Amino acid sequence: MYKVLKATFITIWSLFVLFPIMWAITTSFKPESAVVNGATFIPFLEYQPSLIGWKAILPGPDSLTNLLTPTLNSFIVTAGATAVSLIFGSLAAYGLSRFTYGWKNYSNADIIFFFVSQRIMPPVVLAIPFFLLLKELKLLDTHLGLILVLTSGLMPIVVWLMVDFFNALPREIDEMAMLEGCNPIQAFFRTILPLSKPGLTVAGMFCVIFGWNDIFFALTLTATKVLTLPVAVIALNGTVTPYWILAASTVFSIIPLVGLAFVIERFLSRGNLGGAVR
Amino acid sequence: MSLILKNVSVTTEKDGVILDDISFEFKPGRIYILIGRTTSGKTSLMRAIAGLLPIDSGQITMNGEDFEDKPIWERDVAVVYQQFINYPNKSVLQNVEFPLLRKGLKKSEAREVALASINKVGLGDYLDRKPAQLSGGQQQRVALARSLSRQSHIMLLDEPLMNLDYKLREQLRVEFKELFNSQKDAVTIYATTEPPEALILGAEILVMHEGRIIQYGSPTEVYEQPQSTTVARVISDPPMSILPVSLSAGEIRFGDGYSQPIPAKMKNFKEGHYQVGIRANDIVSAKSGGEKGTISLVEVSGSETLVYVDTPAGEVVLQMEGIHDVKVGESISIELPGNRLFLFETNGALCVSPDSAGE
Amino acid sequence: MAKITLSNIGHSYNKDKDQSTWALKPLDMVWESGKTYALLGPSGCGKTTILNTISGLVTPHQGRLLFDDQDVTDVPTAQRNIAQVFQFPTIYRSMSVFENLSFPLVCRGWKPEKIKARVHEIAEILEITDKLGRSAVKLGADEKQLISLGRGLVRDDVSALLMDEPLTVIDPQSKFELRKKIKAINKINNLTVIYVTHDQYEAMTFADELLVMSFGEVIQRGTPEQLFEKPNSKYVGNFIGSPAMNFLPVEAKSSEIYFGSTKLKTSSAHTAVTGKAIEVGIRPEYVSLVTGTGENVIEAELLGHDDLGSVRVLKCVSGGFPISVKIQRNEGLPAGKNLFLKLPSEKSWLYQDGHLA
Repeated sequence: MYKVLKATFITIWSLFVLFPIMWAITTSFKPESAVVNGATFIPFLEYQPSLIGWKAILPGPDSLTNLLTPTLNSFIVTAGATAVSLIFGSLAAYGLSRFTYGWKNYSNADIIFFFVSQRIMPPVVLAIPFFLLLKELKLLDTHLGLILVLTSGLMPIVVWLMVDFFNALPREIDEMAMLEGCNPIQAFFRTILPLSKPGLTVAGMFCVIFGWNDIFFALTLTATKVLTLPVAVIALNGTVTPYWILAASTVFSIIPLVGLAFVIERFLSRGNLGGAVR
Repeated sequence: MSLILKNVSVTTEKDGVILDDISFEFKPGRIYILIGRTTSGKTSLMRAIAGLLPIDSGQITMNGEDFEDKPIWERDVAVVYQQFINYPNKSVLQNVEFPLLRKGLKKSEAREVALASINKVGLGDYLDRKPAQLSGGQQQRVALARSLSRQSHIMLLDEPLMNLDYKLREQLRVEFKELFNSQKDAVTIYATTEPPEALILGAEILVMHEGRIIQYGSPTEVYEQPQSTTVARVISDPPMSILPVSLSAGEIRFGDGYSQPIPAKMKNFKEGHYQVGIRANDIVSAKSGGEKGTISLVEVSGSETLVYVDTPAGEVVLQMEGIHDVKVGESISIELPGNRLFLFETNGALCVSPDSAGE
Repeated sequence: MAKITLSNIGHSYNKDKDQSTWALKPLDMVWESGKTYALLGPSGCGKTTILNTISGLVTPHQGRLLFDDQDVTDVPTAQRNIAQVFQFPTIYRSMSVFENLSFPLVCRGWKPEKIKARVHEIAEILEITDKLGRSAVKLGADEKQLISLGRGLVRDDVSALLMDEPLTVIDPQSKFELRKKIKAINKINNLTVIYVTHDQYEAMTFADELLVMSFGEVIQRGTPEQLFEKPNSKYVGNFIGSPAMNFLPVEAKSSEIYFGSTKLKTSSAHTAVTGKAIEVGIRPEYVSLVTGTGENVIEAELLGHDDLGSVRVLKCVSGGFPISVKIQRNEGLPAGKNLFLKLPSEKSWLYQDGHLA
């Protein structure tokens, strides 16, 4: 009885959650007639699938807009911001986990809070200062500019996650590495970092998701040269665009993240988490 | 060519004084045992030598070289921890090779040395295993192999057998003894809380208490002439019974209880209050006479029976050979042979120790 | 307090068909109410599996578990009324000692006055009355472990007290005190206690009965005396006692037993053994030094000794086989290397293929 209830609940909930996505996917493959003449559901029977939506967003004779360039921009910006955040964020976190810093009454905990506090302010508050800053630095509408701004938002997440992760690794491991002839930097890169794959994966995943989905900073701090994918999709929305093209562009923009999710799921389930220190 | 500590002190905000003015010369080729309770400063002393704990004052030198300006990674100190610390992502072979490669050995040399020391600790068949796939005892052997292979001039072992099974501990103690004896130019320092371990490793014993070294000597010296009640407690297992006594008019009186003639060795002490200590195996249960008490607990350990007795003078633990049918709550008479008594001042300092038995 | 019956209980973590790989091989066992039992064996011998079966953390692959006459195999852990003390002290860090001890009673809806009375009663036994107001976090490991124990004791509905190596994190010097208290408590409360340990000394001093385990099987069950005096196998002889029992290979010739050329008398029937792989087992405690040859006396060479404080262990070799002898410190060390060792016949037993003949 309990099992049946559970199964029913899960089924209904999954339908509820997945329906909009399913709708977007099917719509992206529908021809004009199947969309405007009332709802259709079953492919081949009720409508003949077509690729006109997809052709419109990819380069070619039927192209309405080319989403590949924005995709490349999104890749560069996300990868750049993620890499910078992971490298500097984990180094900062390692320092905060293993050494004591302080000035008067301020200690490590306060520094960590300082990092995290950057996420407390709504992005709107930061938009104008960032705009002025990038303008002065001549970095408006550049990849580097956007990477720097995104990093300021992503690094706190990395620091926050990784401090906890490093705290959980026995201090004796890096102490031992130092006793065995590594200086602190070597100890970090040769012993701690290889053990931190699971933590780095999680932190990296957050960075990629937040970075890829960022729209606010991309909208305010870039114009034409560094048009990112979410901005391009939204731009389509603003004009009179047929539903099938909109649907195709939405599905297109989530494909990389779905792919990433599968890769990470593989990685996590392979049991790569085991470090097992007694 | 030795490790010298001069007036080393460490105080932390959290724990107060943890090392209190320690001066000692550790000579190469010898094994030094640090024994003391958990918070006596054994681990702190080792961490200070390794450089993991900064010292507030004093000086640590090795072969005349001041350690102050030497960072941890240049001190060449090998440490085996109580927890079995290995690099979890490296195989047994890689674990042992790692410090050798850091030291600048060629890949082939490192492999050779690593294999030799892995074979020495009996793990030759487990080269490719990850630490997590080994038992606790094997993991600790990997850690040991890693430390041995480096041939450091200073080797520190912090209760390395603490987390192992009882029988395994017995076995490794013996192996350790042999392995350490082969380290001719290294200072080996071994911390433990277990008196038998300290005595078996048969080396120089340093008794630590509250951040200080309170006695130093051979196992026999420390065991037979503990300089204070604190040392006597730390080095005795089962515990030494320590009772208040008074000396007067040719008699030694236990608490308010019974008295017996003063043993010959104590005749020259002036009358007054003292403490006596007696080891569990030196107390004799008597048919009559002696001190009377009530049995509060009986523990059987195979060939011996430990009996806890509440007497008017205080609690006494006696060890009887064989298994005895004694019950909790019964009364018992015990005799404290005068020639087996340690006499301590009321502040704990040793006045007289009994003659070493039969030698 | 309940009698605990294990009826054909066996467990395999990977549901293997082949019983020889099971973590716990099927066993029948009755544990009486009010007694203390020790499960003794090296890591991975199945002792923790038994404990988890009783507490309900593991549902056995086969067999039934009974508390008194009630089948509890499928009863969830929470309803079994088990009190458990783990290796590491489990305390509620935010609470005072008093709150820690009263927590199980508060959960059971006891009245405040009744709780207060009960907690004070238990605190009295544990000798921590003066610490009731303190924050539990600030206590030492031994006191924390006492509180973990106390939380099990305050309840009046406990069917069994399970202890899983509770003294691991305690100093040897404090261990003595703690061991004494735990033992006193067990006597007072008349609980059924199951104590898991790898330390033979702890097991011997604590328990009324010991169960020596290896690879998921109970090898021998008995009182400390029985296990010490007459181990049923070499395994038990090695595991119990420190140093381990001596085993010397011997030959049986027309129902006489010879070690080399020396004839030995033992307490086992000499007709019970034939052929090969026969050994005489004798405890190092019972081997004594004598001045010359005689009945059951063998010659040995002294190699060295271990100093254990009140006793010494002489390491000897006789006919190429090692033999250890435990002597009291006051006896002093023997002069010279060549010793005569007497193996009293009443303490010697014959073993064939590793088992008591």
